[in-house]
Amino acid sequence: MALVWNEYEKESRTVLPEDTFLPDDLLRQLMSVGEVDLLVGILSRNPATPIGQAIQVIEQCFQQNFMRQRVVIVLMDGMSKDGDGVAIEQAENALQNNRRPPGITSLRTIHRVTANFLTEPLPGVALRTILAVADLLRARACAVVTSSSTNLTTDSLARLLLPAYRENFDYVAPLYRRHKFQGLLIRNLLYPMSRAVFGCPIREIYPSEWGFSASLGAHCLNQNIWHEDSIRARPEAWMAISAVTSDYRCCQAYLGDKGPLTGPTPNIVDILRQTVGSLFWCFEKDQDAWLDSDKTASAPTLGAAQELTSEPTDMDRHRIFEMFRSGVTNLEPVLSSILDAETHAEIKSIVELEEGKFRFRPDLWVRTLYDFAASYHHAVINRDHIVQALAPLYRGMTHSFLVEHADSSPAETEAADEMLCSEFELQKPYLRERWKAKVEVKS
Amino acid sequence: MALQADNLWYKDAVIYQLHVRTFCDSNGDGIGDFQGLTQRLDYLQDLGITAIWLLPFYPSPLRDDGYDIADYTSVHSSYGTLEDFQVFLTEAHKRGIRVIVELVVNHTSDQHPWFKESRSSRDNPKRDWYVWSDTDTKYQGVPIVFVDTETSNWAWDPISKSYYWHRFFSHQPDLNFDNPEVFETVWEVVKFWLNLGVDGFRLDAVAFLVEREGTLCENLPETHGIIKEIRKRVDVAYPGTMLLAEANQWPADVRAYFADGDEFHAAFHFPLMPRMFMGLKLEDRKPIVEILEQTPDIPKNCQWFIFLRNHDELTLEMVTEIERDYMYDEYAMDKTMRINRGIRRRLAPLMNNDRRRVELMHGMLMSMPGTPIVYYGDEIGMGDNIYLGDRNGVRTPMQWSSTLNAGFSSADPERLYAPVISNPIYGYQAVNVYAQERSEHSLLSWMKSLIRVRNGFRVFSRGSMQFLTPGNHRVLAYIRRLGEEIVLVVNNLSSSAQAVELDVQEYKGYVPIEMFGRSLFPRFGTAPYLLTLGPYQFYWFQLRRI
Repeated sequence: MALVWNEYEKESRTVLPEDTFLPDDLLRQLMSVGEVDLLVGILSRNPATPIGQAIQVIEQCFQQNFMRQRVVIVLMDGMSKDGDGVAIEQAENALQNNRRPPGITSLRTIHRVTANFLTEPLPGVALRTILAVADLLRARACAVVTSSSTNLTTDSLARLLLPAYRENFDYVAPLYRRHKFQGLLIRNLLYPMSRAVFGCPIREIYPSEWGFSASLGAHCLNQNIWHEDSIRARPEAWMAISAVTSDYRCCQAYLGDKGPLTGPTPNIVDILRQTVGSLFWCFEKDQDAWLDSDKTASAPTLGAAQELTSEPTDMDRHRIFEMFRSGVTNLEPVLSSILDAETHAEIKSIVELEEGKFRFRPDLWVRTLYDFAASYHHAVINRDHIVQALAPLYRGMTHSFLVEHADSSPAETEAADEMLCSEFELQKPYLRERWKAKVEVKS
Repeated sequence: MALQADNLWYKDAVIYQLHVRTFCDSNGDGIGDFQGLTQRLDYLQDLGITAIWLLPFYPSPLRDDGYDIADYTSVHSSYGTLEDFQVFLTEAHKRGIRVIVELVVNHTSDQHPWFKESRSSRDNPKRDWYVWSDTDTKYQGVPIVFVDTETSNWAWDPISKSYYWHRFFSHQPDLNFDNPEVFETVWEVVKFWLNLGVDGFRLDAVAFLVEREGTLCENLPETHGIIKEIRKRVDVAYPGTMLLAEANQWPADVRAYFADGDEFHAAFHFPLMPRMFMGLKLEDRKPIVEILEQTPDIPKNCQWFIFLRNHDELTLEMVTEIERDYMYDEYAMDKTMRINRGIRRRLAPLMNNDRRRVELMHGMLMSMPGTPIVYYGDEIGMGDNIYLGDRNGVRTPMQWSSTLNAGFSSADPERLYAPVISNPIYGYQAVNVYAQERSEHSLLSWMKSLIRVRNGFRVFSRGSMQFLTPGNHRVLAYIRRLGEEIVLVVNNLSSSAQAVELDVQEYKGYVPIEMFGRSLFPRFGTAPYLLTLGPYQFYWFQLRRI
């Protein structure tokens, strides 16, 4: 039986140098593929969306847009018993059935390689594998997709690959058309905060699909971060931020409507741990890039610009408010460790307000987040607990946003987004100050 | 070496295609002739080929390289006499070499006496030997073959004031096979050459013999009826004669010309050729495997004829638009190299004169199912002259030596029918038979060796083919099998060294013997068989249970 990843990785940590981490089984497959022009890796999969469908879309993209190019698809196999093998076979059969006379399909063989794991690999492990494969195969342009993405179409994939393949962009982030109440974590936290701190103009730093060049891929692969838990769990933001802070050419490609999430609704605490936790880790890891610099980068938008829609939606604002209030009350001691005294006092005061009068002001929201980032840096308490404690405050901000923008037009919502970004930038000195301050860590 | 009595000789043949005009000039008039060709038969015998396919040598105004025939039962005066042809035929047969000639009966030259009579008046007895019309609106939608020169399949005849049908050049009016007199006259032509002793015919443009309204005027049932009748008569009166179809069609369409083994004995496999070039440039076996997998089975007494290059352009009719664009971009960036729907270049220039690639292409040609055809001069790596117009650039004089006119003719160079290739890379001073015969490592010597090995194993000509599917798509591997004669062919289509693991469990216990050097390789076991191949390298292994 071939040596599978998880066993091998364990050995490689102690025995082998980093650059030999790919198992023989995978190397044997790469040997057969040889040099390629384009690579698409499927980062993770969702049992609700069979991987075969994603493979089919990728192959159709190659057939329609890259007929002459040498291409490869990189799959992750967690030795699952949920029928991926069958799904892949079904995708193959569907392609065969759709095949027209010779030449209509791509001119070349569409290669597939599969990295075998004992269990479903974490995204960071999967991404590292994809980067290593891309490096060995000297892929000129790559894309990473998730099989559950509702935006994975032949066109959207081409829009991610082409800028890297033909226009020398190094990082191609997706840009979606969203409802004004969709992606609130991105709008109120991830985007404005990463933009203010790193000068990162990329809106979707946790994309479900993105493109990149060989040189950026190699740069990321060579960083000594792959055993960090934050990276193993969610490496996407780190890659986007690395592209920006290392002066790689970035752009954003418009991919159209962002479809609804598939599968079970994720827990907000888990989402914050994965996204905000990983972002805070980036603050820590790349502090040289922002602590004494106000450099900003640009990322042209290819295709239509970001658009918002504003159809009526049905959201239980009252429940969100109640969860905010009870959460802040319950986490009082934790918040007192994390937040600056003044910030904490203000939070306590707004918790007392009636729902109808409640408003989480942008300046307070920004200061709160910067307090969290600084406390994460100083590890005033367990870092995981710090991030979890953000959940009720985020709910408060969400409630405030929903109320304030209930009747806003897309343009008004956009304007508010921009004001929030300005607020983050305005208060960046406050973050620096708290970051550099000497803090006594409570036991 | 006398000819072996075998009615299936065409299955085992290695064919050499040449034009008398291009090969050897015996009388110093600047044009090759049958006496010159006869003088060079020893060379061809030594090369190992077993049949010669002669391009048209009949009287003709030569406006289409002889495919515009003005007399079907004679020899063009520039090439000699009928007696010269008979001597050539006898000498070829003495050397075990068969001779295939052209039967170009879809059309004649407009200088043929039949057409002159036909156009002379509307009530001439031969009027109905050609396809006439008062309008040019019949058979609308039928494709034009020579798109670079023709705008219609109808041409106006100012003499009889009506239109005549032509699928090719306007000076090549189509014969009317709906007229029984035409068919019987064609049969007389066939008998004429068979009585002289020729071994087979290549029927030119066979798909276009009959016209019917509302069709593309191709591959019609009436056309098949004509072929069947010729075949029936040939089998009765001249058994062992081979009929070869020139139908530039998809294999599934050509399949009909084999019928139940009672129409053509052989047909060209047109779509394979461009895909071999494509596979090499793409460094991917996909195009080759796809087209061969789509090739239908044919009756046991039939055979595909396969080739790399011929006297025409490298035809891109049987590829998709996408594939055609790719081929143009990769093999004919200079638009001068393009003509009609194809590329007017020889093999060696197409391969950038890379000996390894030339050898690989020949290696694939000789090991794939079918009868291989070598175009004259390709065995020494001759170049072309794309500035000569039409397809004449691949029809330049054979380069025999580094002496005057490449040893082709003693005429003044200005008198030659076409200038010899004289550039520094492909010129006759650098590329010629004399020099290559003196070197055991020359391309010519290598070709002799290749053909010798091929001729020694009937599995190549008659065996089955089974693709192996190793993960490495840069490697094309297949098993040829005829009873206990088994050969494994492994081709590296890539410009870089490759490793490949072959699943040969079915042949566990067999010992592979490399067929050129007779070297033994490790015995096959149950594990995948690992081979490494240099850039463009190929192996032929005989598999033996020892």
